[in-house]
Amino acid sequence: MTTADTALFRPRALATGGLAAVRRHPLILVLAAMVLVFQVSTGSFLAPANLSGIATDAAALAVVAVPLALLVISGYLDLSVGSTLALGGLVAGRLANEGQSPAVAVLGALAVGAAVGAVNGVLCCYLGLSPFIVTLGMLTAVRGLDQQLFPLPLSGFGSGFAWLGGATIAGIAAPVVIAALVLVAGALFLAFAPGGRHVFAIGVNREAAHLSGINIRRTPFLLFVATGVAAALAGAVKASVLDSVVAGTSGAGFELTVLTAVLIGGVALTGGSGSILGVLLGVLFLGGLQNGLTLLNVPTFWQQMAQGTALVAGAALAYLAPRTGR
Amino acid sequence: MTPPNLRVHGLTKSFGGVTALAGVDLTVPAGQVHALLGHNGAGKSTLIKCLGGAFPPDSGTIEIGGTPYARLTPRESIAAGVAIIYQTLSVVDALTVAENIFLGQEWTRYGRIDRGAQEEAAAGLLKRVAATCSPRDRVGDLPTGQRQLVEIAKALSRSASVLVLDEPTAALSGAESDALARRVEDLRTEGLAIVYVTHLLSEVERLADAVTVMRDGRVTHQSSVTGLSRGELVTAIAGRPHEQTVRPAPNSARQATAPRLVVEGLHGPGFGPVDLSVGEGERVGLFGLIGSGRTRLLETLFGRRRSTGGTVRLGERAVAPARPAQALAAGIALVPADRRAQALFPPLTAQDNVLLPSMRPLARGGLRALGTERRVFGALADAVGLRPALPGLPAGAFSGGNQQKLVLGRWINTARQVQVLLLDEPTQGVDVGARHEIYRVVTGLAEERGTAVLFASSDPEEIVALADRCLIVAGGRVVGELSGASLTEQALLSAVHDRAVSGTAVHDRAASGTGGTADVAPDQHADPGADNDPGPLAPPAEGAA
Repeated sequence: MTTADTALFRPRALATGGLAAVRRHPLILVLAAMVLVFQVSTGSFLAPANLSGIATDAAALAVVAVPLALLVISGYLDLSVGSTLALGGLVAGRLANEGQSPAVAVLGALAVGAAVGAVNGVLCCYLGLSPFIVTLGMLTAVRGLDQQLFPLPLSGFGSGFAWLGGATIAGIAAPVVIAALVLVAGALFLAFAPGGRHVFAIGVNREAAHLSGINIRRTPFLLFVATGVAAALAGAVKASVLDSVVAGTSGAGFELTVLTAVLIGGVALTGGSGSILGVLLGVLFLGGLQNGLTLLNVPTFWQQMAQGTALVAGAALAYLAPRTGR
Repeated sequence: MTPPNLRVHGLTKSFGGVTALAGVDLTVPAGQVHALLGHNGAGKSTLIKCLGGAFPPDSGTIEIGGTPYARLTPRESIAAGVAIIYQTLSVVDALTVAENIFLGQEWTRYGRIDRGAQEEAAAGLLKRVAATCSPRDRVGDLPTGQRQLVEIAKALSRSASVLVLDEPTAALSGAESDALARRVEDLRTEGLAIVYVTHLLSEVERLADAVTVMRDGRVTHQSSVTGLSRGELVTAIAGRPHEQTVRPAPNSARQATAPRLVVEGLHGPGFGPVDLSVGEGERVGLFGLIGSGRTRLLETLFGRRRSTGGTVRLGERAVAPARPAQALAAGIALVPADRRAQALFPPLTAQDNVLLPSMRPLARGGLRALGTERRVFGALADAVGLRPALPGLPAGAFSGGNQQKLVLGRWINTARQVQVLLLDEPTQGVDVGARHEIYRVVTGLAEERGTAVLFASSDPEEIVALADRCLIVAGGRVVGELSGASLTEQALLSAVHDRAVSGTAVHDRAASGTGGTADVAPDQHADPGADNDPGPLAPPAEGAA
């Protein structure tokens, strides 16, 4: 459960690691079955153009899912990312509209995201308030702020800003490259940074982590900031892809979709366990499910039912699976 | 002839290739207290969990009152008359005593819970177990001993014929333990079959009629207690002849050299003022009952609690840690008493458990030094005799003794330089074999690295085995000191129990008792008047006169 990431980076362990990964992440099999079913029923699911579409759609999910997963592993939670995502897109879009360079636009979004994350982090980690309550409140408050600051929809960001969502790097869409970088950074952090182990330790047993000299406030605080930054980055990317942001609706419901991906990916809501490989699988599963059902012309509300059912079914399977150890 | 209340025959259970029970037989007739002994990991817990229906056994039978079962569900187990009082009590804090006793079997009248009748019946059951609480008390407000009696009352309400007590005195004070022992005797007289899991041989000698010792999932010894010597029992548990707990020569030379930890007038909520000093390589015990302030003192030295005054010096340097991290940076480490709640990360690997606090100092360029981590862990596993010495095994899969070695190993591995090691109940829930290994490791640490060791224990045998010198703690203060030949189990017990009975008024007697022993080394270190202190209320300066 906690060594999966380390195994990924040791070539020697890759062969046996593959089997172990399937055992640890039965979602791989579910994902494979889903791909098979969609390919057979649509005939176009595995077409390169469709795959790249799935990847671009899933990219925003992955960017936020990684820091959110780390936050959940350390025993916290952030429900405010949907509104932060909108705020990031709005700030980046406004800066682009005002003729700022794309870099400045993105940095502006990241700074605002960091600020939202820092507020969450101070309230939850340093003042000890419940993360559920704090971030639920922030979800609503930041959405209100979005609409107060940006009452009108923004669009027409210009070709420079469109690069962020539309460019390809070595044939891969820029959002996918960004998501891949975030995923790799997350996996490397968990496996090779001391802080990665601290994340698990804090999630498993806060008191023991405190008595081991681990800073039980700063690590989750920084994860809140990272989650805010990632949400704003995802918002800027989405704004660039769509060339539009609407304060009232952009990213609405995103916080639950990303949390669903994290939980389907095997991160325990109680903290202390999870992996980046699992998160990637969860993101691909949700993204693929949405795409496949769309290809099959399944109405949106059926898609939502499928997504919700998948989460509950995943939890039920994890519960029914035989437990090992005493 | 009536069948025995409990007969277990040929019970086996394995977990993914690891055999936990390998054909266990156990018979407990009515009116017998049957002690179940063995290392942590010997299979005792698995056995009682099979009895309680938490695990289905792989083969064998469990016969309760003559009815054989191949497997039980928790509900069937209760219906058959088995009541298990686990170490972690399963009472609901938010409910009253009566509600807890009748939880799941509420008495109803016209579809509503009949509180009056329940409370009346609860009062009768509480009287049977001699509990002093009222049926209307909220269980969360009760001390552990009373909560345990509530659970026993609950078992009686279900007319249990087999009562299993899993280390019932582990969390109890001395007086509570004595009271529980009397209840167990009463219940035996009432005709219950009682399985009593314990690590304490004194409890076996006092209470048990028969004893079963388990090791590696097998029964290695089964007999009546009459005529059985302590040595034979220890041999059966450890699987090798008893290492005599011979006290090593007291380390008075060390004490004379350099005081490494000096505490003066330290006080905080629930303890103090306390003066003490621990020399380089010296092992000092703090002996006192639970609630005497030992834990608060250690936690304050470690920065988990704030002191309200006084000074702590490490050598010449004054330290006032506000957080454990600061204490650790200064070279003070604590192994807390409650392993599960305060020290262990059960799902994380053994290596992570040991090295979590050392990963950052060992890291190079912000990345973990994985090779060094493995080497440090390997060396530590050798040094403490970790079994199995598998770095990747989750800590929760180790026995209690080996878990404790992991927690201890966190501070004594080669990646750390600990000046002062604080230990709170260092071998709580640790089997006899691992206990001696831990003593050996701590003693070696003091002798080879000069680490100052300050440990709290309520087990006199442990104090005698591990301490060069022992401070008696009561009411949050150091009230006496024993060392050299005067440091014996009897002296410790009488020092504390006299005190517990008559409170602080007996201080003069205890002080003369300690001061009067010829071999108490005169106070040579910078700790004015700790030994000759006329009374706990006198400021330290007066004692120096």
